Amino acid sequence: MLIGKTQSVCPQCLRLLDAEKHSGDDGCIYMTKTCPEHGKFTSLIWEGDLRSYLQWSSENTKNEAPVLPKMTDKGCPYDCGLCAEHLRKGCCMLLELTNRCNLRCPVCFASAGEQAPADLSMEEIEKQYDFLMAHGGPFNIQLSGGEPTVRDDLPEIIRLGREKGFSFFQLNTNGIRLAEEEDYAEKLKAAGLDTVFLQFDGLDDSVYITLRGKALLAEKLRAMENCAKAGLGIVLVPVMVPGVNDMQVGDLLRFALEHMPSVRGIHFQPISYFGRCGLDRPGRPITIPRMLRLIEEQTGGVMKAADFSGGGAENPYCSFHASYMKRKDGSLKLLPKKSGSCCCCTGSDDSREFVANQWSGSGSKAEFAADGEMTETSALDEFLEQARLNTFAVSGMVFQDAYNLDLERLKRCYICEVDSRYGLVPFCAYNLTDTEGRSLYRR
Amino acid sequence: MQDKNYYTIDPEGKLKCMKCGVALEKGKAKFMYLDNGFPVELPVCPQCGFVYVPEELALGKVLSVEKALEDK
Repeated sequence: MLIGKTQSVCPQCLRLLDAEKHSGDDGCIYMTKTCPEHGKFTSLIWEGDLRSYLQWSSENTKNEAPVLPKMTDKGCPYDCGLCAEHLRKGCCMLLELTNRCNLRCPVCFASAGEQAPADLSMEEIEKQYDFLMAHGGPFNIQLSGGEPTVRDDLPEIIRLGREKGFSFFQLNTNGIRLAEEEDYAEKLKAAGLDTVFLQFDGLDDSVYITLRGKALLAEKLRAMENCAKAGLGIVLVPVMVPGVNDMQVGDLLRFALEHMPSVRGIHFQPISYFGRCGLDRPGRPITIPRMLRLIEEQTGGVMKAADFSGGGAENPYCSFHASYMKRKDGSLKLLPKKSGSCCCCTGSDDSREFVANQWSGSGSKAEFAADGEMTETSALDEFLEQARLNTFAVSGMVFQDAYNLDLERLKRCYICEVDSRYGLVPFCAYNLTDTEGRSLYRR
Repeated sequence: MQDKNYYTIDPEGKLKCMKCGVALEKGKAKFMYLDNGFPVELPVCPQCGFVYVPEELALGKVLSVEKALEDK
């Protein structure tokens, strides 16, 4: 049964194709498209029934215009920048500070360490900050790469961004340097870092050996300890791969909860089949319903699939999230979906603030209007900080690849890569590769 | 109906109690909400005990506390 029409690309030549979303013989939702040269492609996009697929959609259809959109020639998804066709102004911006890496993971969307062009210079980084401010900033900044901690000037990069007026910085890292240099987390915190987005794929070394090429669990734990000591918020980020760590979802959640409040949340990333990916794309990649089923099954129903909703600021089919309050006895209470979630958001700004507040470490609570000299309200401050620190966020984002790319989703993307050659490019366009590994944007 | 004022601000910018005509002083007060008490210090009238709650406080922290307690 036909559900809707959209546009996608051919996985082999990345040519723009009309695509149809429809339910298949098994009741799940698929996307089908036909390339005149390379034939027909059908991909699973929702491992659940039509009702659940339609129910997941949020009502937020309000659009935003990018600030100073780029003039385009070829159209979406070939010359992003962002262009006037895009429906979001952006929330989180990725700065790829280097392509160098101290690991050589079999799986890496950025194909880091391969050609390793020169790192972005401080002047280039300053230009990127200025570009962001001129195009709708401040945004939340994710410092990425490669492995950004291989740069010794990382604290200066964060300091410069703070001076430029950006107020939330998260570091996308494998955690090795944070583990090895005890005072490194403190240095980053002092420079203005809020959150460590820690690659954390599992709770035993076999997972790391498969996905990262070496045993790393001890380093991850030491990195967490050092971040906690420094007061940096930690978000654990497991890349979920069928057959490798999808049986550890419940253990990961329990582990994360045990490490609150320094661990602020967990962010699952089902693996995307782009960039350097030595794994074959399975016929049934992980989609949102499967991820939610794994969460419910492996927590024994403590967290339920029904607790979750799709993002309100981005396209709802790109992400899922729920927030819980940890009670004194350790039990969890689901926070109403409108509280502590993005579905109340009307756009990128709300989402930016929500992420910054939920994922920040201690000592960076939201500021309120200044009180007069005669007021002293630390009891209220303490309560609010405790409430915030006892809130735990479970979220995830399902990136698109050339098989399941849906331009309707792409046009509402609010996570962009910053690249001086193009401007702001939605994450899934920037990282899109064809079956031969050729990219539209990435060098 | 005209809004009732409980305080005035003198030319030096200091808060005065409208009823008693004396300057407010820093004093202890307690916000009670859903069985939770939050001791705070606010400008208080030394004579009648009137407590001045700045608007930013009411619409800022106090509102946030209410939201957190009620999961609003």
